[in-house]
Amino acid sequence: MKWSLFEQLQQSIKAGASAAVVVRLSDGAEALFDGQGWQDALWMSETQCSQALRMLVADRSGTLPDSEEFFVRSYARAPRLIVIGAAHISQFLAPMASLAGFEVMVVDPRRAFANPERFGDVKLIHKWPDEALADLKLDATSAVVTLTHDPKLDDPALIAALRSPAFYVGALGSKRTHAKRVARLTEAGLADKIARIHAPVGLDLGGRAPREIAVSILAQVIQVRYRGTAG
Amino acid sequence: MTGASQIYHEAIKALASAAIGDGSLTDPSGTAFLDNPLCGDCVEMRVKIAEGTITALSHRVRGCLLCQAAASLLGKRAAGSTRQDIERIAGQVSQLLRDDATAAAAWEEIAVFKPVHGHTSRYRCVELPFQALITAMQDAEARD
Repeated sequence: MKWSLFEQLQQSIKAGASAAVVVRLSDGAEALFDGQGWQDALWMSETQCSQALRMLVADRSGTLPDSEEFFVRSYARAPRLIVIGAAHISQFLAPMASLAGFEVMVVDPRRAFANPERFGDVKLIHKWPDEALADLKLDATSAVVTLTHDPKLDDPALIAALRSPAFYVGALGSKRTHAKRVARLTEAGLADKIARIHAPVGLDLGGRAPREIAVSILAQVIQVRYRGTAG
Repeated sequence: MTGASQIYHEAIKALASAAIGDGSLTDPSGTAFLDNPLCGDCVEMRVKIAEGTITALSHRVRGCLLCQAAASLLGKRAAGSTRQDIERIAGQVSQLLRDDATAAAAWEEIAVFKPVHGHTSRYRCVELPFQALITAMQDAEARD
């Protein structure tokens, strides 16, 4: 690795970002890929870029699946799960996700719900979701799930998440609730991005208790992390 | 009690979307930031005062339509009032919400909040901007 590239990588890691070093095996040319773009020029096709992104999200290294042309070495931070809403489900989801290796934070300006009595040592952020997500700088290894039951709080979070490279966006609510949400987000100009939302949220495990829904959400986040949205 | 569509009637929507006073005054005499821990609404109020009377105010609201409408009403009407005036009007608003009172109020616009009566969890949404203004005026007095 060239010294300049090593310095870039070091900076990226220091900044808490995820990045991959991509090497073109034919001539050894290398560049840093942050999931959205290049810090140096190295041409890859759109398909190859999205394959490299998938590898970075999953923190996997190796040659691209369909070609031996590029080698990807991922330097991904622990995936982040940002839970919007200090809801009952969140009380189970936050510790479960933390045990599963995620860096977890719960965002809710409603201090009456987001408090240490209910959440122990889970990181709580008492801000409006859009402001909190702007501070957190969502990246390709971030997942966002909205659980507030209040569009006033869920919608700004979804808008911020859909405009970010987050690998997973999920929203709690019935099909009927989701249909209304789709109408509001369409009005907000996000029609082309709505399909990224996982709703109804979670894998269909059949459970309805908050702790079971938490398992189904966590399972889906992990599935999408490794398999992509195609499942 | 009334339904959600009656709470959010046209006059409330118009008042909220007018957002009179929305912004951030420079060199305020006093400021306050209040939130409602149950619903997440928050109001940052900035006020300029000369000889005990409001000359200008600004607010930044993150909250529901009721909270936005109440803040907008303050932007429209509060200039020229003293803290005692605002406290009296805030009292009238609270009374209107709680007792469905129809007594003559200093500002006729507060009647738009009448349908909120009975929705106890929403009273604070309307009251929060008034309390923020009173707190900002107290802050200005403390700085004097």
